Amino acid sequence: MSNISTAFSKGKAFIPFITCGDPDIETTEKLVRTAVENGADLIELGIPFSDPTAEGPVILQANLRALSGGITTDKIFALVRKLREDIQIPFVFMTYANVVFSYGADAFFKACQSVGVDGIILPDLPYEEKEEFLPYCKKYGVELISFIAPTSRQRIAKIAKEAEGFLYIVSSLGVTGTRQEITTDLEGIIKVVRENTDIPCAIGFGISTPKQAEKLAKISDGIIVGSAIMKLIEKHGKTSEKIVGEYIKSMKEAVL
Amino acid sequence: MKIKLCGLKRPSDIAYANMLMPEYVGFVFAKESKRYVEPQRAEILRRQLNREIMSVGVFVNERMDTIVDLVNRQIIGLVQLHGDEDEDYIHRLRKQIKCTIIQAFRIESKDSIDAANKSVADYVLLDSGKGSGETFDWALIKEIKRPYFLAGGLTSENIHRAIEKLHPFAVDASSGLETNGIKDKQKMTDFVNAVRQRRKDDGGMTEKNGRFGMYGGQYIPETLMHAVIELEEAYKHYKNDMDFQSELAELFHAYANRPSGLYYAKAMTKALGGAKIYLKREDLNHTGSHKINNVLGQALLAKKMGKTRLIAETGAGQHGVATATAAALMNMECVVFMGEEDMKRQALNVYRMHLLGADVVPVKTGTATLKDAVSEALREWTSRIEDTHYCMGSVMGPHPFPMIVRDFQSIISKEIKEQMLAEENRLPDVVIACVGGGSNAMGSFYHFIEDKEVQLIGCEAAGRGVDTFETAATISTGKVGIFHGMKSYFCQDTYGQIAPVYSISAGLDYPGIGPEHAYLHDTKRAVYVPVTDEEAVKAFEFLSKTEGIIPAIESAHAIAHAIKIAPTMDKDKIIVITISGRGDKDCAAIARYRGEEIYE
Repeated sequence: MSNISTAFSKGKAFIPFITCGDPDIETTEKLVRTAVENGADLIELGIPFSDPTAEGPVILQANLRALSGGITTDKIFALVRKLREDIQIPFVFMTYANVVFSYGADAFFKACQSVGVDGIILPDLPYEEKEEFLPYCKKYGVELISFIAPTSRQRIAKIAKEAEGFLYIVSSLGVTGTRQEITTDLEGIIKVVRENTDIPCAIGFGISTPKQAEKLAKISDGIIVGSAIMKLIEKHGKTSEKIVGEYIKSMKEAVL
Repeated sequence: MKIKLCGLKRPSDIAYANMLMPEYVGFVFAKESKRYVEPQRAEILRRQLNREIMSVGVFVNERMDTIVDLVNRQIIGLVQLHGDEDEDYIHRLRKQIKCTIIQAFRIESKDSIDAANKSVADYVLLDSGKGSGETFDWALIKEIKRPYFLAGGLTSENIHRAIEKLHPFAVDASSGLETNGIKDKQKMTDFVNAVRQRRKDDGGMTEKNGRFGMYGGQYIPETLMHAVIELEEAYKHYKNDMDFQSELAELFHAYANRPSGLYYAKAMTKALGGAKIYLKREDLNHTGSHKINNVLGQALLAKKMGKTRLIAETGAGQHGVATATAAALMNMECVVFMGEEDMKRQALNVYRMHLLGADVVPVKTGTATLKDAVSEALREWTSRIEDTHYCMGSVMGPHPFPMIVRDFQSIISKEIKEQMLAEENRLPDVVIACVGGGSNAMGSFYHFIEDKEVQLIGCEAAGRGVDTFETAATISTGKVGIFHGMKSYFCQDTYGQIAPVYSISAGLDYPGIGPEHAYLHDTKRAVYVPVTDEEAVKAFEFLSKTEGIIPAIESAHAIAHAIKIAPTMDKDKIIVITISGRGDKDCAAIARYRGEEIYE
């Protein structure tokens, strides 16, 4: 059993996303610990990218703040190494293809293995391009997470068949960010997924309230929340630890 | 190099063609030929033929209405004349049909080559005789001055030598593919494979799976994959759809004012004292730049796909204006994303877009320039796909955009080639164009890529210099990366963060370059040189004063390089510079650069 699948072994998973280095790396470390203490089952750690084309304004600004604060890929590897000394839950990086490519795919995934990152999410690496990094992921035992979107239709089966870790189900059209309501036929999509694979399905994009989380957790294996958390960090900065912890706790309770 | 398999007449011949996928097949409508097919039979064969293969009708002194009827019924897409048809015949035929006309010449002496050089047809075909299966004296071909189909006794055995020695536009085989008078599947396969192998050895410029060598690809969110696949399928369909192509040709001609002139810049030539300089006047197109070529094509395609809304990014505003124009013309909704910084630099174009009925959305993130406008347009497309086409402005982004935009812009080099041959009876020595994403350059280069003797030069915006951080010269200062859907060269830091770039020209102020340019750079088929703000501004002023032509500041980068190299070249050499746009939009910015505030 891969480390990622343990996140889904104790019922529905709650997966918070945190942009590393916003507002600084020390705060990120505190936030990760808080998230674990308040019930996070897996944590998505964002490596900032200057031009994240799949992100809405909240995470885009978080990326830019982190970069202007001097965060780098190497500093994030060092952070993970430190966190791994006492944290066991799976970590998954979420970043953009150029961050990995420019670091050198071999060196990047080797570092992931060495510090203890279990998987990677690259929103600009669709099924058609996954060979770019997949051989390196396999070499170093890092699982490459695939997306399924509301527009995937006949692509769902082939993506699901080859998926590993968990499947990231995109709740609705558009970029990341909170939404009033989600109208996609997610049950229909997940039904096709289930016909093709046994790996867990986690829904993300646009989820911010416990009510939404509760509803979507019923039809999936886990819930991913990013923008709503980053909004709290944007507002509270270095003192966001407590409020983020409370928020994560409320969301975790909602999905259970 | 393209392949034509001629004289197909049985359904099995069509089945072989569908398997081999040549660019063209030929149906012979000359009754005296043993390969004659009746129009009714040809119609059935056409229906069985893959839509991506173009069918050529071969005629000998045929009644014109027969040809027109075959074209109108879409049984054939090109006309090949093999008899004694004269200039007048071709002119009259052109009045009735819009398709490409090929005139065949039996090459017996230098005179027949001269006649072929003078033909008013779109292409000529050089042959040994009427299907005799023999080759002619290829030494005569060195006098040919235009793209041609090579025919006459070609087989899989002699095709290597033919391609190596002659570099034809297309190769045409018929009897060499037959055994006992009928098409032989093995011979057809061998022939096509032999040409393709040769083409591959030559660096094979045609894109495969959306790649140009290692560059290109589709690095985009899963949400957009369906849209780009749908777009590619639609484009492949309409690319060979005769109605679509004739509709587009009509728009180019009647609406956009094509063909654009190839102007001999006598005063500039004299002032520089070296190579002869021609200007390809894309600035004279409707909306004032080359952007209209691509936009009319994409808007028409989007319309056929049932889309009702166009979105676009723009830097200098030229692509935004062109998109707003096409949207107005075709009654579509239009939203243009433009960096806030660029909106200040190009206020006039913002007003023009509003006037044309488009919404202009200011982009405030990052450097608030072209790069950020592209990101924002991609985000918008992700959230609204069903009714919306993203009208990409350059040869960049995910496949199929670099290919589609290149194809629509390639009209520039197609015309340059024809005009240059008509004017000088030869190809130019150098073609120069400016490069941001690289659409006008790709359009200017495309039809010369296989003419190895033509030097291709792209001029990048160096801003305040390639040794400063205020530059946008991607090839000179960037490295390979993945961004905006493609693998190519990008200006970036050691961790892959995209660099904030700078150029006085809003249209070249982009940290990347189209993937096909990256490939042309790596294979050394084209060279890319940096040109600074200062050099471009001087060239802007130079062309205005010497030729009375105010070029866009983007195009001025290409002029600046010509100013550098023309004096070092002999007077019998020829340079073509693509003037990608007109410079009215830049006057205020240039005035500011020179320390003068002007108010409109």
